[in-house]
Amino acid sequence: MADDLDFETGDAGASATFPMQCSALRKNGFVVLKGRPCKIVEMSTSKTGKHGHAKVHLVGIDIFTGKKYEDICPSTHNMDVPNIKRNGLPGKGRCPRLTKIWGAPVSFAEPLPRGGVCWAWLRGPPLALQLIGIQDGYLSLLQDSGDVREDLRLPEGDLGKEIEQKYDCGEEILITVLSAMTEEAAVAIKAMAK
Amino acid sequence: MVNNEQRQHAEHIFLSFRKSKSPFAVCKHILETSKVDYVLFQAATAIMEAVVREWILLEKSSIESLRTFLLTYVLQRPNLQKYVREQILLAVAVIVKRGSLDKSIDCKSIFHEVSQLISSGNPTVQTLACSILTALLSEFSSSSKTSNIGLSMEFHGNCKRIFQEGDLRQIFMLTVEVLQEFSRRENLNAQMSSVFQRYLALANQVLSWNFLPPNLGRHYIAMFESSQNVMLKPTELWRETLLDIRVMELFFTVHRKIREDTDMAQDSLQCLAQLASLHGPVFPDEGSQVDYLAHFIEGLLNTVNGIEIEDSEAMGISSVFSNLITVFPRNVLTAIPNELFSSFVNCLTHLTCSFGRSAALEEVLDKDDMVYMEAYDKLLESWLTLVQDDKHFHKGFFTQHAVQVFNSYIQCHLAAPDGTRNLTANGVASREEEEISELQEDDRDQFSDQLASVGMLGRIAAEHCIPLLTSLLEDRVTRLHGQLQRHQQQLLASPGSGSIDNKVLDDLYEDIHWLILVTGYLLANDTQGETPLIPPEVMEYSIKHSTEVDINTTLQILGSPGEKASSIPGYNRTDSVIRLLSAILRVSEVESRAIRADLTHLLSPQMGKDIVWFLKRWAKTYLLVDEKLYDQISLPFNTAFGADTEGSQWIVGYLLEKVISNLAVWSSEQDLANDTVQLLVTLVERRERANLVIQCENWWNLAKQFARRSPPLHFLSSSVQRTLMKALVLGGFAHMDTDTKQQYWTEVLQPLQQRFLNVINQENFQQICQEEEVKQEITATLEALCGIAEATQIDNVAILFNFLMDFLTNCIGLMEVYKNTPETVNLIIEVFVEVAHKQICYLGESKAMNLYEACLTLLQVYSKNNLGRQRIDVTAEEDQYQDLLLIMELLTNLLSKEFIDFSDTDEVFRGHEPGQAANRSVSAADVVLYGVNLVLPLMSQDLLKFPSLCNQYYKLITFICEIFPEKIPQLPEDLFKSLMYSLELGMSSMSSEVCQLCLEALTPLAEQCAKAQETDSSLFLATRHFLKMVFDMLVLQKHNTEMTTAAGEAFYTLVCLHQAEYSELVETLLSSQQDPVIYQRLADAFNKLTASSTPPSLDRKQKMAFLKSLEEFMANVGGLLCVK
Repeated sequence: MADDLDFETGDAGASATFPMQCSALRKNGFVVLKGRPCKIVEMSTSKTGKHGHAKVHLVGIDIFTGKKYEDICPSTHNMDVPNIKRNGLPGKGRCPRLTKIWGAPVSFAEPLPRGGVCWAWLRGPPLALQLIGIQDGYLSLLQDSGDVREDLRLPEGDLGKEIEQKYDCGEEILITVLSAMTEEAAVAIKAMAK
Repeated sequence: MVNNEQRQHAEHIFLSFRKSKSPFAVCKHILETSKVDYVLFQAATAIMEAVVREWILLEKSSIESLRTFLLTYVLQRPNLQKYVREQILLAVAVIVKRGSLDKSIDCKSIFHEVSQLISSGNPTVQTLACSILTALLSEFSSSSKTSNIGLSMEFHGNCKRIFQEGDLRQIFMLTVEVLQEFSRRENLNAQMSSVFQRYLALANQVLSWNFLPPNLGRHYIAMFESSQNVMLKPTELWRETLLDIRVMELFFTVHRKIREDTDMAQDSLQCLAQLASLHGPVFPDEGSQVDYLAHFIEGLLNTVNGIEIEDSEAMGISSVFSNLITVFPRNVLTAIPNELFSSFVNCLTHLTCSFGRSAALEEVLDKDDMVYMEAYDKLLESWLTLVQDDKHFHKGFFTQHAVQVFNSYIQCHLAAPDGTRNLTANGVASREEEEISELQEDDRDQFSDQLASVGMLGRIAAEHCIPLLTSLLEDRVTRLHGQLQRHQQQLLASPGSGSIDNKVLDDLYEDIHWLILVTGYLLANDTQGETPLIPPEVMEYSIKHSTEVDINTTLQILGSPGEKASSIPGYNRTDSVIRLLSAILRVSEVESRAIRADLTHLLSPQMGKDIVWFLKRWAKTYLLVDEKLYDQISLPFNTAFGADTEGSQWIVGYLLEKVISNLAVWSSEQDLANDTVQLLVTLVERRERANLVIQCENWWNLAKQFARRSPPLHFLSSSVQRTLMKALVLGGFAHMDTDTKQQYWTEVLQPLQQRFLNVINQENFQQICQEEEVKQEITATLEALCGIAEATQIDNVAILFNFLMDFLTNCIGLMEVYKNTPETVNLIIEVFVEVAHKQICYLGESKAMNLYEACLTLLQVYSKNNLGRQRIDVTAEEDQYQDLLLIMELLTNLLSKEFIDFSDTDEVFRGHEPGQAANRSVSAADVVLYGVNLVLPLMSQDLLKFPSLCNQYYKLITFICEIFPEKIPQLPEDLFKSLMYSLELGMSSMSSEVCQLCLEALTPLAEQCAKAQETDSSLFLATRHFLKMVFDMLVLQKHNTEMTTAAGEAFYTLVCLHQAEYSELVETLLSSQQDPVIYQRLADAFNKLTASSTPPSLDRKQKMAFLKSLEEFMANVGGLLCVK
């Protein structure tokens, strides 16, 4: 395991995985099965004999490849949970006060609820990266800092085709990037708000 | 080989052949000449369908001759394939049935013909006669067996009523004659006995007839018909037939004769069970009922006593007993001769015990077919019925029987030497340790009916059963303690030596498991929604002995679960009920000590579950007994767990300690953790108990520990954490002084808020929001919020709503931050769903407004983030499905405000709310419509393939149309269009349930149009389109008859609205008819349809008249137009 590797997009000090007791895992959450980061799609328990202790049966889907993995372990055991990140670099925090959300009047926006909620996020920079080019099967993505990333592959399959087609038509699209353990991939697209 | 295309082509030929007009001559020709069975079958089907379709057009004499032809045809060809013969007979039966309401045609002669066939003495002919009768019976039964001939339920009902008064009785008499004949014969050859069997089955069919009461509305007929387990309740006309003792005797004789034949025995016992359920107007007076019952029981005892029961008889015999006990009133039961009644109860006792033993054996042998278990269930249920109403029997009448049944139940569930569990004829069965999945129900649920009966019998014989359970439990505790000690020493002597034989432990656990379950069911009832009371038998038992009891010793036994009961001086002068409770506390104490000694891996989580399950059940009923609820209260109970006693304070402390220990040790056992936290909820959900709980230091520690989110509590699964939060909030409403209360909320709720604000208000929250630690913190907060919402009650909603509202506004911000994290988004929506679900009904106008607005913004953010979004991963669709399902639920919850509203203009909030802006007026409908507008573009036809989402969606839009039809025309154009499109889609290509919902939505929409009188609105235009759809549905398409009412109502309202268009539709349909006869029939039918309501108006009376005519219309021409 390459736990201690420091990737350019990772945060120094954050490990690739952390342990969690089986019982605290949840469906739709994440877990490492057979060395792969997986989303848990099924979770069930069983026991050997009426007075036996519980065992957890996990079925997960690899978040990058979509392959299915299964595992079974005593429910007192700790499992590795991958640190999942979406969109390599998030934007910098800004905090302008907000009176409207997307044109619709928001009556409770003023005065701000106590504690001074940071409504800034609602206005903050897009959390997805803007696509500005495709070259030799790699995506060019505009980061918040103004830098351009060019190390991410155009995904295979329908999503890749969709990206290419939209890009060719001149549509402005945002790409969501998922990273976990040692991998990164584009997993979703969305049209940019006008 | 025939390929697929050819097959389809062939099918098509047959189908269109069956629809051809007047195919009678052709069919006759085919029947007489063809040698191909399948073609014969199709010809018979074509005749059957055509006769019904063209009934009115046919000459009565030609129908009669057709029927004769078919019957003769079958008689002359004894070698026809069975399925061809049955189909031809079915056609005959359908003709007879269709004719039975038509006075112009007489089909009665068929019975004369059949009785001649029977008296022929020829087995083949007799079999044929039986087939004819069976076909008639199924056809007239108007159940699912009836052929689909496109007539109304009313028609079927009327046919059935006429049939059950006359023809059915005639069939029964014919059958009885045949059975009598056979039962007299000594030796039956195979052919004879097969005929015998058929007539026996026929008799069973007659006796199981679901007699339709007169004047049952057509809506109820369908409901009535679907009821299982029909009891025999014939009309008065059957009196002479069924009260004839010889009939009953005949069936006992028949059963004795054939009881070794598995198949026939089932029919004969079923006949007896039906006779045992005889009731209703057939009995002229109570005396006749007593006579009948006495004779029946005599016959029954003669049949059952002294024989060895066959496996195949068990179920039937128990049905006979069960029906007698259920159907005959107590005063009739006690009116039969005493001795006879005693023998009856003795026989019941004997059979119950014996079936119980056989059932246990079945379990050991792992049989697939558990006939004895089923029979045992049925008898135990009968016991419950029998003893529940004990006014008619002298006190203690059933005690000895109860002791026997109770003892045998215990014996079957304990290991040797006390019991016979897992014992077979060859000694103890070594059962393999099998894998048990979480889907397998717990014994306490799977066997709840059995346990309830056994518990009840245990109360009746409390003098015997309570001390028995106590001594068995105390013995097992001592052995368990010893066994665990031995294991510990072994471990100390050779650590890591691993393999320990757990057989002894497992046997002890299983014994204790069953003893706890039985004790739980004996001492307390299952209660849902009502105040649980101490069973009167248990209370009386304790009171009766309270003079011999030493209260102090009793308290000592209760308060020292760590010591052996028998080591306490004077232990035999204690209250038995309290001693039984303390025996279970001793089990609990052994468990706790084993945990402290690091032996958790040797313990049984199942036993742990049983213990907390019992304690919860017990606490609900006994802890802090409310004297006001009882006439008389036992002094030991009142001293040990009454209000303001040291005992109750001690036991609350003990239970709390147990809960805390379990949550720490058993976090990995979800079910056990769940039962544990439920016990905690029980302790705090009533104010009186909560008052004691919050006085415990431990409670405060638990609250602080949970607020810190440190191990071990954060290992608990999310549902357990939610419930724990709920309990902590409920506890906060106990009685405390202001300072303490302040302090409590500071410990419990404020940390939640503080931690949350600390996280989200960090400068760099956006950078770190995806870090696992942060995400976990957020998730835990959201889970806790759901738990808080769950704790809502009318007296705390004001505080909780204000508290939660602060979070909700923040959650909307989170929606944005976590827009790419579907699992978090889902949880955020769930928080809103929970809050709306639990609180909206209590909120006054301005508070409701706040919630509406928050929900609206949530939906706006969601929709903004998800429109035009595509994701690669395979779970994307399911994530979205879950989101949308939750959103629909949220909208439905909000809408419920319009019909369930407990708010009294903010009364619960009075004093909480200085100067409010009351000038805004948004209704739930506005919010919901707006919400629908937002999510509608996200719904796709693919997503509608998820049945639960689809149903929830259509329920929502039907609700909206029904509650706020006036809002629909004002909708934005896009939304309006998609709503109308949804309705159209729902009517044309969804399930019948959805179609029904859409039809229900149309009526209020059309009424709205009529009210508004705007002939150019888009709703007006849309309804015109729907008129055409509903018209086609009713007139041209084969549709579900259940839908006629909803479709008819919508149809009528639409006709009122668009009279000209309706006339046009009718004209078009008529002009397309070439056949003048059909044209005239249709034209007449349409005239008749609207005759009672010209001009149509939205008047209720007219509407009802129209609906009635519509039924006739459907019966007359409904099938006609399907010919095409």
